[in-house]
Amino acid sequence: MRNFKGTREAFAAAVMDMAENDARVMVVSPDSLKAMRATEFGETYPDRYVECGIAEQGAVDVAAGLASCGMLPFVGTYCGFLTMRACEQMRTFVGYTDQNVKFVGVNAGLLGGEREGVTHQFYEDLAIVSAFPNFTIFTPADPAQCYHAVRLAAETQGPVYIRGGSGREVDVYDKEAPFSPDGITIWRDYGKDAVLFSNGYVLDRVIAAADILKDKGINVTVADINILYGKNDAKIVEAIRSAEQLFTIEDHNINGGLGSYISRLSTEHAPRKVKRIALTTYGESGPAKELADQYGYSPEAIAQTVAETLK
Amino acid sequence: MDTVMLQKTAQTLRREAVRMVYEGKDGHPGPALSIADIVTVLFFQEMRLDPARPDWEDRDRFIISKGHACPIYYAALNERGYFQPKVEHFALRQLGSTFQGHPSMHSTVGVDMTSGSLGNGIAIASGMALAGRAQGKDYYVYCICGDGELQEGVCWEGANVAAGRQLDHLITFVDRNGWQSYKSIDETVGRNNPADRFRAFGWDVYEIDGHDMEAIHAAVEAAKTVKGKPHCIVCDCVKGKGVSFMEGDNAWHKGVPTDEQYATAMKELGGDD
Repeated sequence: MRNFKGTREAFAAAVMDMAENDARVMVVSPDSLKAMRATEFGETYPDRYVECGIAEQGAVDVAAGLASCGMLPFVGTYCGFLTMRACEQMRTFVGYTDQNVKFVGVNAGLLGGEREGVTHQFYEDLAIVSAFPNFTIFTPADPAQCYHAVRLAAETQGPVYIRGGSGREVDVYDKEAPFSPDGITIWRDYGKDAVLFSNGYVLDRVIAAADILKDKGINVTVADINILYGKNDAKIVEAIRSAEQLFTIEDHNINGGLGSYISRLSTEHAPRKVKRIALTTYGESGPAKELADQYGYSPEAIAQTVAETLK
Repeated sequence: MDTVMLQKTAQTLRREAVRMVYEGKDGHPGPALSIADIVTVLFFQEMRLDPARPDWEDRDRFIISKGHACPIYYAALNERGYFQPKVEHFALRQLGSTFQGHPSMHSTVGVDMTSGSLGNGIAIASGMALAGRAQGKDYYVYCICGDGELQEGVCWEGANVAAGRQLDHLITFVDRNGWQSYKSIDETVGRNNPADRFRAFGWDVYEIDGHDMEAIHAAVEAAKTVKGKPHCIVCDCVKGKGVSFMEGDNAWHKGVPTDEQYATAMKELGGDD
């Protein structure tokens, strides 16, 4: 495994590692090779790098054509430009056709978009992709998990969407830890006063919140949900059953992401109260940490919401 | 197959396409008849195909970007022997049918790519051509677009990629029949010449009569000799070609013949042969 720092570098490292042994691996770029930190791929494999220019819809179509002829294309760029600009192409020519195209949508959430502002901050991607049958959705929680998610995506038949950041992610997992096929990893198990379900790059904040709560005598479990709407949800349902009060914390709109997923599983299998901590407004520009804090994702704010809800 | 046989085959496909719409009570006969001769030349003369091996990796690829014209595509696949036994009643657009309202690659054997949402064919075909290049294969990718369809921006995203990557194994036909859903193209967005636009994008361009079998064949053969550029064959076509009351009447963009109209159409298309 190559060395890397953020999720975009993790993507680039993973495709470089895979391309050595798999001639099907290609990178399709809507002028995103630099943003995806994958210029080395373009230099090393010029015949397997397709530059489409600033044209996301065309890029997704090109990838669909490549996949229909047996190639394994990865399309990476800002997640909103994929899921909104090229929404129909993802849905009709990759989802409906069940093509082996892998998407990496970066700049996800407030943390991913941070200083860029709302035009380049996207908190709707999971809601959109989760409405497309055949898609597998991976939400890694740090760069190492993103690396393993990209590798697993290549082994997963059919369309895969991976949510990436922009380098502001905090390392949580051991670098070698695999991307859980169960879709859940328990990070704290202090008790069953509540389960805090997290996904994506706020996991470190949710873990910190659990530690704050423990000091206050509130003992919660923290679960990272790394696959959304997956086929294998038994262990997630088990976690849902384990407490009377559930929380979901995600850097995404309140509709259509982790909160919706957990609420659905709870409704179907084990009705529980679910408090969703997520975005209900558009964001703004700002440094990642301050921005996330401002919008309610500081460990203290999360802990406070949990404590007040449990009163 | 000689020209006379091709013409005869095209008429057979036209009859089948009209019958499909008549029996299914829904569909787009005018756009299907418009491209009948292009489809016939491709499926019965130009394309490297093996109906017994629809997934053959070395086959030429075909994408009907103007997917609503699919009755003619389904008829061609049927006549070419993709369906065993040969289909007698297509049940076009009926629940559970193999023959969806727009082509679906997982519903219908022989369909290389789902299509119908306008504008996407050229970019997808570019991906197919790039895959062939990456795999060291020599297959050609054929795409048929409508002239109205070219109003979609993504067409030109694909045209950019194809020219930039010098995809000389991509041959796109433009069905220049001058009409779109509601009005003529001139009335909708003003007069323009797709040939000029493709030339401006760096393509190798031809302008021919889209109902002249020999001209279609000659344009394809000429295109194959030009290296380093994707090819565009702009075909002057008549929407509804072959059925007198459909020709020049855009009401047949989408429409179902009455019993009487159906009988007339079959007669005009040589159904008594």
